[in-house]
Amino acid sequence: MPGDVISRFASVRLGTRGNQRKEQGFGQVNGHHGEILQGVFPDDVGRLYRGLVTLPCNIVSSTAVFRPAPGNLVTVPDDKLKAAEAARLTLDSLGLHDQGGHLTVESTIPVGLGMGSSTADVVAAIRAVADAHGAALAADEVARLAVRAETASDSIMHGDLAVLFAQREGNVLEHLGPALPPLEVLSVNTAPGTGVDTVKQPPADYDDWEVQAFRPLRGMLRRAIRTGDAALLGRVATASARISQRHLPKPAFEEINAIAASTGALGIQVAHSGTVVGLLFDPRNPATARRVAEATSRLDTIGLPPALHFRTDAVEVRHVA
Amino acid sequence: MSLEMTMSQPLSRESRGFPDYELPRLVRLTDNLHGAAFFLMKLLPARHMLDRAAADGRLKPGGTICETTSGTFGLALAMLAAVRGYRLILVSDPAIDEHLHKRLLELGVTLEIVEKPYEVGGFQTARLDRLRAALEANPGSFCPSQYGNADNPRAYAEVAEQIAERLGHVDCLVGTVGSGGSMSGIARFLRHLNPDLHVIGVDTPHSVVFGQPDGKRLLRGLGNSLVPPNVDHRQFDEVHWVGAAEAFLATRRLHQHHALYQGGTSGAAYLVADWWARTHPDRKVVTLFPDEGHRYVATIYNDDWLTTLPGWTGVLPEAPQPVAHPSDVRPNWSSFRWDRRTLDEVLAAGTPVARDLAEAA
Repeated sequence: MPGDVISRFASVRLGTRGNQRKEQGFGQVNGHHGEILQGVFPDDVGRLYRGLVTLPCNIVSSTAVFRPAPGNLVTVPDDKLKAAEAARLTLDSLGLHDQGGHLTVESTIPVGLGMGSSTADVVAAIRAVADAHGAALAADEVARLAVRAETASDSIMHGDLAVLFAQREGNVLEHLGPALPPLEVLSVNTAPGTGVDTVKQPPADYDDWEVQAFRPLRGMLRRAIRTGDAALLGRVATASARISQRHLPKPAFEEINAIAASTGALGIQVAHSGTVVGLLFDPRNPATARRVAEATSRLDTIGLPPALHFRTDAVEVRHVA
Repeated sequence: MSLEMTMSQPLSRESRGFPDYELPRLVRLTDNLHGAAFFLMKLLPARHMLDRAAADGRLKPGGTICETTSGTFGLALAMLAAVRGYRLILVSDPAIDEHLHKRLLELGVTLEIVEKPYEVGGFQTARLDRLRAALEANPGSFCPSQYGNADNPRAYAEVAEQIAERLGHVDCLVGTVGSGGSMSGIARFLRHLNPDLHVIGVDTPHSVVFGQPDGKRLLRGLGNSLVPPNVDHRQFDEVHWVGAAEAFLATRRLHQHHALYQGGTSGAAYLVADWWARTHPDRKVVTLFPDEGHRYVATIYNDDWLTTLPGWTGVLPEAPQPVAHPSDVRPNWSSFRWDRRTLDEVLAAGTPVARDLAEAA
């Protein structure tokens, strides 16, 4: 069994570093604000995969603490089932089938908005378990454990790296660059109080035209990242949001889009499996502060006051309504 | 076929093909004008249509393909059929180029030449009848139908990807229209990223694609005697009709000034794109050059042949002549504000828009 080989290898590796086992391990990961692009994309040999490019949101995060102990695995709070499953898988992958422990997960990421709360709990748990055993897991290893725990994962384990991520395989389809061009994001929750169950939701059934249309979006995204062109990034995000609108429609989408267009935003992006919409602005443009204020007041008038305002290249919170 | 089925299909690229020949080379001609120069543009839609048909079982391994064509689409099918082991029957007419004819035979094509045009419907209808007969005689054979197959325009997503990646934001797309695949396909994909994209279709006098009355056309490779369903008329902001002599002269100009040795349709596209780029110097223009010039050594690139053409003046017009309605056929370069309308809307409409344009000019 290949799995046993891996486990044995991991055990040996741990054995050589047994003195690195700590009393407790710590894991943390930032959330995100939906996607710049999500669809289906061919790999190098032309096979199609579902894939996404995440918009990082570093002002929200999940943290986990793991204290190894013999016996059962106890998770607090006990409804973090996927985090618990991820911790178990991580222990097993380290060859520690008989070991349990105490896992605590805390998160500032809102649930059901498509901001990565579930994957963040999972990744924080994986990192905490690995850290407790002195094992530094590469992002790809974390990703593979995460998709085993929750079927489909966001790419937040890659941090700010711009990757086209196959969310059901946990693989990177394409490394796009060290980071997206910086953006200033005005965040709107289009369905406050409802939320989306990202697990129960069926994957989007893109039609033949849409499957092909993702190609030029990917092409423009490559250029946006290579040249640091935030305006191109806005075009890609808006185009992807338009396709998403056919599959998981956001209330007031056209109104928000009109506000974005008339206030000089670069475009809009959506959580393709959630409820948040972001108006994207160029933080390097001196007019942005005025434009954001204008957009905020116009969003107020349609009953959708922005809930968050953040920059993708900073941890600073500009405004929380 | 559902998306999940498509995703679980065998790999298309495992089938042999010419991926590096499918996409154009991008050449910057002036500050704001970029040419997309193809080796053989039809390779891309032909490959995509065959891939899709093979994936959902319309085309069996070692199966037969039947199509009517006298142009480069036939050559593209013949190249793919040769390396993928399909039998190919092409229906054509006596206008087929002699060298292309030989090349198709060398690639193993069964070529059926329709000798006589019908009194009503001409060669086009006669060829369609012969095609129907070939399909009936070969049960289970596949007809790509480039005029109606939606996989034709969809194939061009790869060109749109290349343009978006290499050129970023584009303001204007110019190209010739024949089957409707390349221009309707690329325009729709690029417009999804830029709703303001200005799209100019280039046709030739006496082509019915944009509403002119049918007639004899010297310029081949664009235009049509029928309106292909793949022409999405609502994609076009402007339509230009370019005559043979000026298209060929522009083809030579493209070679003389920019060292691009392309065919006659490329010249027609270049003439219009160069004019638009000159009159809109702050806008980025990309235009499509569908094939190379080697097939036209004895014609377009031969002065003796060129100077005997009807309407030959040896001088390129500076600008198009705006016309009030597609029925206003001019022998030379003319233009019309299409305004993203359907063909029916344009043909039914009066001419106030055109009058505005004429006044503005």
